[in-house]
Amino acid sequence: MADELTPDEALDKIDYRPRSSSEPRNWLDTTKSVQIRPGMYCYAAKPESVETLGLPYAREWNPTDEDWKLPENWQEILHEGIKERLERFRTFKIFMDICVRCGACADKCHFFLGTGDPKNMPVLRAELLRSIYRNDFTFAGKLLKKIPGGKRLLGSREMSLEALKEMWYYFFQCTECRRCSVFCPYGIDTAEITIIGRELLNLLGLNIDWIATPVSNCYQTGNHLGIQPHAFKDMLEFFVEDIEDITGVDCTPEFQKKGADILFITPSGDVFADPGTYTCQGYLILFKYLKDKYGLDVTWSTYASEGGNFGFFTSHETMKRLNAKMYAEAKRLGVKWILGGECGHMWRVINQYMDTMNGPADFLEVPVNPITGTRFENAASTKMVHICEFTADLIKHGKLELDKSRNANRVLTFHDSCNPARGMGLLEEPRYCIKACADEFYEMPPNTIREQTFCCGSGAGLNAGENIELRMAGALPRANAVKYVHNKFGVNSLATICAIDRAALPTMCEYWVPEVDVIGVHELVGNALILPGEKERTEDLRMEPLPGVEEE
Amino acid sequence: MKKTIKKNRNQLLESWFDATINTYPEESARILGKKSNRFDNPIGGVTRETLEDVLTLITEDFSREDLEKALDPVIRIRAVQTFDPANAVSFVFALKEIGESVIEKADIINFYRLVDEMALAAFNRYMKCREDIFLLKATESKRRIHRAFERAGLVAELSEGDLLGSKKS
Repeated sequence: MADELTPDEALDKIDYRPRSSSEPRNWLDTTKSVQIRPGMYCYAAKPESVETLGLPYAREWNPTDEDWKLPENWQEILHEGIKERLERFRTFKIFMDICVRCGACADKCHFFLGTGDPKNMPVLRAELLRSIYRNDFTFAGKLLKKIPGGKRLLGSREMSLEALKEMWYYFFQCTECRRCSVFCPYGIDTAEITIIGRELLNLLGLNIDWIATPVSNCYQTGNHLGIQPHAFKDMLEFFVEDIEDITGVDCTPEFQKKGADILFITPSGDVFADPGTYTCQGYLILFKYLKDKYGLDVTWSTYASEGGNFGFFTSHETMKRLNAKMYAEAKRLGVKWILGGECGHMWRVINQYMDTMNGPADFLEVPVNPITGTRFENAASTKMVHICEFTADLIKHGKLELDKSRNANRVLTFHDSCNPARGMGLLEEPRYCIKACADEFYEMPPNTIREQTFCCGSGAGLNAGENIELRMAGALPRANAVKYVHNKFGVNSLATICAIDRAALPTMCEYWVPEVDVIGVHELVGNALILPGEKERTEDLRMEPLPGVEEE
Repeated sequence: MKKTIKKNRNQLLESWFDATINTYPEESARILGKKSNRFDNPIGGVTRETLEDVLTLITEDFSREDLEKALDPVIRIRAVQTFDPANAVSFVFALKEIGESVIEKADIINFYRLVDEMALAAFNRYMKCREDIFLLKATESKRRIHRAFERAGLVAELSEGDLLGSKKS
């Protein structure tokens, strides 16, 4: 923590090691050290995907090539881009100005802790852009650059091609998880610097494909995977068949039902990617239960078939465009409010941006749980409730009948996903749901959970295959804590409430702690919930024998 | 020799730990080398624990497999960082020079052999970790998306089970 550091120690954390012979001890002169290393970077965006969105400078380019095929006036474009954003975003201006380089954030980033690369210290990553800001936009910068040694004194540098490459490399080695900001005594949100940094890179067509193509898919088809409406419906119907085999109950959902009480939106990963698919089955079981018991009318939509928003990792405008369909569909269907599934960054977009971006959604009602009467004041403006809040509220009021024994084979711990934890303070509800559905639950060490949670290492669009070394290194601090509870308490299941986590953490576990499995909270709910009229279950949602059954 | 190692274990550990952490860039090594909470500093924590375990193991009876297992946590980390293969395992050889100050002259050849044995185990484990990474790279997207589609009958190809089965045969 910041207050444990003496000034000397703090200054000590930033080392201006020799980077070039001409200016030893000036780390900003990185000409010799820019290396785009395989395994650490993601492939460049396909030009078609950039074109779909009408974003500038769509072209084939390769990060490892010398020539990035930049527009001739790229420096001018960036300069104007920075200028415009300094005027538009007060936070950006403040964050550029107020950092005193105390170093409190330096060792808080999972990418620094995992890769050991000093430029992954949040302060240094931000400094890549800040140094250019100082040079081009501050009075001191303009003055000092005329004096020999002045630039070094101020920590400023010219916008060179090397500086650009370095920004690209490191802004795509940040998952915007905001752990560093928890420790910043000034409250600088380094994630916002990455957000603006990536937005600036997009002005030159420098996105990565794992972001650009999902965004393009989502813009055209409604979800990141580009799955068309009939396939979306097919997948849910297939889940319905599986659930019927397991429980004997038909959980067929409604699609695009006008006048339903609630529109449910979840990340498409829950519909198309294991093990999120089992969480999705949990939602279907819950909605069937609520319909039969309490007459609650929930509808899905094949149009608003994506809760996630990779536009968030591209630019504010792109985020707004993708987010708009949620409200548009809620309006078209005439529902009262929106319920959202287990997702990470989706909730940061909703909680911190949606209302001012596409809101206010005056046509929706302040969410009230019709079964318990609970009014979700925190969602009074966005009109969108997190399913863990909703389910926890139902459990608290004794509205769900749960059989914990069906999850008795699971010894659980909970990974707080960065965005719900730090972006909206959703800390207790998922734990409450887990404890209601299973008996054995153990927390990871306090400095690795809740607001101090460590990122999965694959968020913010970095869950690609080509950068797997970066992802595994970035996941080390998380895996290290999982391994600890596995060894100490025999934890075999890592519960989480984020679709990216459900996609990324199984790979993390396989590499670091192969004995641990990943599970969504609503998969646990789906297993435990006793549906009216169900047959005696012998299998869980993964069609594996229920605890106790295997011995018979 | 084993007695000498046991007696000087702490001294060996400190020097070996420093040599290993100093394979990181200096700015990083300064932070990673601190004795902080093992969850706040996993590289430092795991590196120290692993080297400690290895130093204990070599004073007992052990096989190459035991050595590999003991070295695993630290090699597993270094295999996903930006070290080239040589630098990922070079920290083992640092022990030779460190040992020279405490190991008796008569034992030094044996000690070098021991370190060589350790290096071979480290190399084995490094390759195993890299193979793990390549396998994860090859199967991850298939496992995630393809399997869900397979179960739904939306694609008809060799199942993952079939493919992995053919690997075993």
